[in-house]
Amino acid sequence: MSGRGASVAVLAALWAGVACGPRIDAPPPGVLRLNLGTEPPTLDWTLATDSVSITVIEQLMRGLTRLGTDLRPGPALAERWDLSPDGRTYTFHLRRDVRWTDGVPLDAEQFVYAWRRLLAPETAAEYAYFLFPVEGARELNAGELADPSRLGVRALDPHTLEVRLRKPLVYFPALVTFMVTFPARRDVIEAHGAAWTEPENIETLGPFALEEWRHEYRITLGANPSFYGGRPGLERIIGYMIQAESTALVLFEQRILDYVQLPVLEIPRYIGHPAYRRAPLLRGYYFGFNTDEPPFDDARVRRAFSMAIDRDQFPPLLMGGELPAGYWIPPGMPHHNPDIGLHFDVAGARRLLSEAGVDPALLPPIRVVYNTAETHKLVAEKLQQQWQDHLGVGVELENREWKVFLKELAVSPPPVYRLGWGADFADPDNFMNLFTSTSANNHTGWGNARYDALVERAAGVRDPAVRQRLYDEAQRILCEREVPIAPLFVSSRNAVVSPRIRGLELNPMDILFLEQVRAE
Amino acid sequence: MIRYALLRLLQGVGVLLVVATATFALLRFLPGGPFDREKALPPEILRNVEARYHLDEPLPLQYVRYLGGLAVGDLGPSYKYVGRDVAAILADALPTSAALGGLALALAAVAGVAVGLVAGVRRGSALDRAVMVMALVGISVPGFVLGAVLVLVVGLYLGWLPAALWEGPWYALLPAVTLAALPAAYIAQLTRSSVLEVVDRDFVRTARAKGVPEWRVQTQHVLRNALLAVVTYFGPLMAMLLTGSFVVEVIFAVPGMGRFFVTAVTNRDYPLVLGATLVYGGLIVISNLTVDLIYAWLDPRIRLAGEGR
Repeated sequence: MSGRGASVAVLAALWAGVACGPRIDAPPPGVLRLNLGTEPPTLDWTLATDSVSITVIEQLMRGLTRLGTDLRPGPALAERWDLSPDGRTYTFHLRRDVRWTDGVPLDAEQFVYAWRRLLAPETAAEYAYFLFPVEGARELNAGELADPSRLGVRALDPHTLEVRLRKPLVYFPALVTFMVTFPARRDVIEAHGAAWTEPENIETLGPFALEEWRHEYRITLGANPSFYGGRPGLERIIGYMIQAESTALVLFEQRILDYVQLPVLEIPRYIGHPAYRRAPLLRGYYFGFNTDEPPFDDARVRRAFSMAIDRDQFPPLLMGGELPAGYWIPPGMPHHNPDIGLHFDVAGARRLLSEAGVDPALLPPIRVVYNTAETHKLVAEKLQQQWQDHLGVGVELENREWKVFLKELAVSPPPVYRLGWGADFADPDNFMNLFTSTSANNHTGWGNARYDALVERAAGVRDPAVRQRLYDEAQRILCEREVPIAPLFVSSRNAVVSPRIRGLELNPMDILFLEQVRAE
Repeated sequence: MIRYALLRLLQGVGVLLVVATATFALLRFLPGGPFDREKALPPEILRNVEARYHLDEPLPLQYVRYLGGLAVGDLGPSYKYVGRDVAAILADALPTSAALGGLALALAAVAGVAVGLVAGVRRGSALDRAVMVMALVGISVPGFVLGAVLVLVVGLYLGWLPAALWEGPWYALLPAVTLAALPAAYIAQLTRSSVLEVVDRDFVRTARAKGVPEWRVQTQHVLRNALLAVVTYFGPLMAMLLTGSFVVEVIFAVPGMGRFFVTAVTNRDYPLVLGATLVYGGLIVISNLTVDLIYAWLDPRIRLAGEGR
């Protein structure tokens, strides 16, 4: 090629490049593009544990029941269910019009298979304990029950599933909204092994079906025309895995994404914007005390420290719509009671300290440990300042990398530590069970027989008024009298939704209900 | 030459064995394990999970098991990405990193050498000073700042290039520039000082006296000799760029493997950390060997060990 020919070719290539260069196309109708944040670690609903996997699986699958927007479990694959008089046997009557994406009808045996698989020791499912209330489940999982047919679940016929519980559990219908209890296909899993969740292998029965999964980048779901609830309003959902929230927000502003969560620092800029959405979550943020060692082995000292916290100062600090909370059962959860909790009272706190014989001036500095993150640092510094100002005690802050922190909590909990808890299902048991004396999540060293008994009894009581009384008393022990923890606030979700998207509302369980959403 | 390359590759295997052993040991010294969760697992479940991944076995046995897997090319299952093998995860991600890194490498090499050569030949001129100030900026500005500025200015405000994502060749430009900035600046400085070293040497003067055209003097005589130092830097640089960068991948949402160097450690996903480290180590071995071979080509006086006397 001559020199001139070459330069003409280069110029032509450049021009072509510019001409077909990046343009921001008009958003495709019927398509919702959102940011998932990270790669879902798995789409195997029996093995999944994290919120990103839940977000995707909730679009692909359905369980026996499903949370409504009111956070009560309603019918899904089960159109109704009966409870035996002794409160221990649930009979779920399945819909007869449900088919998987390959046309195979739903069968109660698919639940039996999924539940046995969840509980089999070799599956090593981390959330197997969700079904521990079922008769024989714990034994099966611990390898003590060799015969899985003795697990308390069986298919009476293809449309009827019977579940026998170890003891009465009123929130069982709420528990089976959770993905690890969804039915599974033995033929699909055995044919493809671990790769059964790839798009070419997977079979599902929810409103959307898995079309494409580019690991670490993008997942595409398409409408499932044969969904028993009717074809969904969206043609397609594209979920990107963009870790940097600020990058996702730039793409939202360029109209490349329709739904993204807001980075904390950007929230004030969007408050009042029509795209802005906020919803308080069923997620509590608290500081725990190590009650095995002085000074926090004395309930009066713990009460004093909790009363010395002005919780109203956290929302303006964090700007994320936090709700100051002295209670533990969050709003939106059944049996929430806003009147529970210690109030900010410096004089009362100081009085309690002197009653306990503690002289703040002589107290060695209190060590407060949190996992490394900007928000937690802000909160811990505010707490440090308040305790120093209000009680006159010295406070030392220490931060730790997440896994190091978790190991320390399990092995030798610091005097004061930060943690949070998000609901797996919308029943107070999920929150109150945390601080029973046998809970693996209770790092406070605190145990209280009365509290344990109240929480256990409340799990089996059908009368809502009685249940309310039991949880109120348990919460007063936890948050007002014994105070092994000082709840600080309930967190919120902050997000922006493109105006072309209709019907996308946030909810406290942080589940995206997308089958009713439309994109213009 | 072939014998030399084979010998070096064999040494490389030894190096990788040391890397695997050291990484394996370091990971186990790190407090906190892969299944320490915010929602603590009941003991019977933890036992099942640990048994599944053989974490309940004594460490020496785990180590032998791991090496046995390595010998047959099995990097083990990821703890975080349930049901996926580390080899498959890395095979998915490495081509993306390598494509982006290769582009960045080319950008850095071409821009760095060109700028350094011009600056060195025109030593003391305004151009030299301007170029060197830019190089200093390139070295000092960290990738997360440059990347964020490019996303905002070029991507959002000007709209010239896609701000992020990985949909086609255009999408590689901003991350490649971000990746290339530092090495380009460093190469420019290296080239300039090497050029200054050779530009007054006798063979350059001789070449000019023989009437060799100036552009040939600069490329054939000055640059070829000045490049030795730059090529040395290429070995580690190549491995670093091809395996991706956490910061650049996160900012631009590029699905490469650089992320695993950070996220796999925070997740304590031992097999994934080991796999990523070994890929990185392997690339270093290969690129260092390549550099040595290029040396021999650039400077015929350099003899490779094992070559005939």
